[in-house]
Amino acid sequence: MIPDIALGGPADSARRIERGHSSAAFTHLLLVLAWRDIRVRYKQSLLGIGWAVLHPLSMMLIFTFVFTRAFPGSAAFAGGIPYPLYVYSGLVPWTLLAGGLSGCVMSLVGNRNLVTKVYFAREVLPLSCLASSLADCLIAGTVLFGLMGYYHLSGEYSFSVRITVLLLPLVLCIQLALVAGLGMLLAMANLFYRDVRQVVGVAVQLWMFISGVVVPVPGDGSLFSAFVRLNPMVAVIAAYRACLFDGDRLDMFGLAIAAAQAATILAGGWVLFRKASHRFAECI
Amino acid sequence: MDKPAVQLDRVSKRFRIAEHRVPLLQRIGRWTGIGRGDASAANWFWALRDVSLAVLPGEAVGVIGPNGAGKSTILKLLAGILRPDGGRVAVSGRTAALIEIGAGFHGDLTGRENVFLNGAILGMSRREIRAKLDSIVAFAGLERFLDMPVKRYSSGMYARLGFSIAAHVDPDVLLVDEVLSVGDALFRLRCLDRMRELVRNGAALVFITHDLDQMQSICRRAVVLEGGAVAFSGSPRQAVEHYLGAMTRSYVARPADVGACGGVGAVELAAFRVGAPNDPRGNWITSGQCAEATLELRLARKMDDLVVELNLRGPCSDGLISFNSGRSGARFAAAAGGVRIGLSLPALPLAGGQYFWSVRAWDRDRGICELDTPYGFPMFIDDGGKATGSLCLVHAWSFASAPKSSDREDLMMASSDEVATSRGVPHEALHLR
Repeated sequence: MIPDIALGGPADSARRIERGHSSAAFTHLLLVLAWRDIRVRYKQSLLGIGWAVLHPLSMMLIFTFVFTRAFPGSAAFAGGIPYPLYVYSGLVPWTLLAGGLSGCVMSLVGNRNLVTKVYFAREVLPLSCLASSLADCLIAGTVLFGLMGYYHLSGEYSFSVRITVLLLPLVLCIQLALVAGLGMLLAMANLFYRDVRQVVGVAVQLWMFISGVVVPVPGDGSLFSAFVRLNPMVAVIAAYRACLFDGDRLDMFGLAIAAAQAATILAGGWVLFRKASHRFAECI
Repeated sequence: MDKPAVQLDRVSKRFRIAEHRVPLLQRIGRWTGIGRGDASAANWFWALRDVSLAVLPGEAVGVIGPNGAGKSTILKLLAGILRPDGGRVAVSGRTAALIEIGAGFHGDLTGRENVFLNGAILGMSRREIRAKLDSIVAFAGLERFLDMPVKRYSSGMYARLGFSIAAHVDPDVLLVDEVLSVGDALFRLRCLDRMRELVRNGAALVFITHDLDQMQSICRRAVVLEGGAVAFSGSPRQAVEHYLGAMTRSYVARPADVGACGGVGAVELAAFRVGAPNDPRGNWITSGQCAEATLELRLARKMDDLVVELNLRGPCSDGLISFNSGRSGARFAAAAGGVRIGLSLPALPLAGGQYFWSVRAWDRDRGICELDTPYGFPMFIDDGGKATGSLCLVHAWSFASAPKSSDREDLMMASSDEVATSRGVPHEALHLR
């Protein structure tokens, strides 16, 4: 049963338009669009979905070369974890953020014919980009477990499976909320100023180096370190490692703050996105 | 079922004319009050102004009008893509909008994959699409090409698949915007059939098209939009007459256009007049009376065999009669310069309404069209309300009391036999005999 829906005039802009798009249809469309992204990204490519693994893996090799061969011994910060594992465990969630944001930022502008010709809840476009990045990230993640198995069997570093592994989905959810909120904001901003896309590319790279992906963030109590720790990704990346490896203790307080930040960004991004979405077709 | 499925209540919509991405410095200037003030009303364009329209379930309404009249804006408002700047838009039920066929198709995906993609975009569930896949493909006639990437489809195949998916949404409200022009004639007929079927099943249809015959064959009501406002609302035929009349008036109103006609151009139309001789009403003619058409041509060169054709079109742009000097056996050998050609019609038995004359001229020796007036010159026929249709032929009626009941039964049986043997005699004709 589809209820009668009134599309508001300017007077009742607070009324939401749902128009027969139940949450099931929303989810279905989101998954289909994510599937389209993945399918199109790896179509007519020899390695196909292998690129989802090769990309973080090659980054891992580069950073491993820098920190263990070019400047030997400089990777002591890894806290006993083999450096390739240390950096790969940071790179995998980072590809979710970087891939998700670069997809989201173009998700409205790149689907201009959908935005101007078909009605559906616009959130689907950035969120489906995020979903396709998540798929890439999960595939790359399986290789992480392969690497861990390799180091364990070769005796270089032994793992003990701990109960904190169960917290991984929670950390992932916090990260997804953060990227979804930012993604919606950036998709919208790029609609009005195409510069956003260029800025995002550079900013994400810089962000990686102050999030503890490649090298840990300074924890010396300086002003810079306090500033860097405003960044929720520091706690998120650290939490992934703490759940997987024995080295660090899980900083529940830091993670809770990151979760609150992510929830705020998601809620704010979503509200703004909805408020502006009826203008998208005109402004695109 | 009296509640409208689609309702526009004094809806207005404006768009910004100036590019809204003002340079950043200028925008900062505006914010801080140093620069120029905000955009004035002159920077806005009202695409729609106070437009009201209601469509009941099971009703088909056509929207016609010149380019830029606001037709597509109405559809986008109904689809929810745009939001009005004034008034209210209310739509109830599941809506399928065909504003662009195959919007959201991805060229790298196969036809089958695109059915699932496009179906999801149009709001169909996975199970629904799977159940209808065969029917969608059969309707589009693309069984053989289902696993080919759509980037290799011809534009007709692309359009057929797009329409077929949208036609299977089973909407309560179907919005169609000038999308049937790509398919071939047969596919277009099938699309119209499908649209009729949806309307019969209770869907409300809003149909935008420039194909006036197509519109009249589907819609029971039509709206003419001009400059963002409803100029006429009523029966499709009257709407078409209104629309074509307005279009022709705006064309004929500019005398310069008489000379600016198509064709290669060695013949120029200097003047055109039609009317009853010595009638001060100009191009008003009483049905059945004599009429004369006179045209003055300017020839750029000498022509030994000039052929002139006068075409008469009806109120709905349908071609009625063609007068061709060559076929009539007249031979015009003209020197370069001006000539005057007349066509005399002792009786013009047309039904009342507005008609249009258009002129063509050939130099038969060269075989190319030298002159072709695109729209035509209006002529009004006054028949005193005696006839509808195109012609007002001389006729007489007879009247007598009905035959006895036993005779009538014979007649009824005869008539049903006639129909059964498909001889095409209408039932009523027998009663009127």
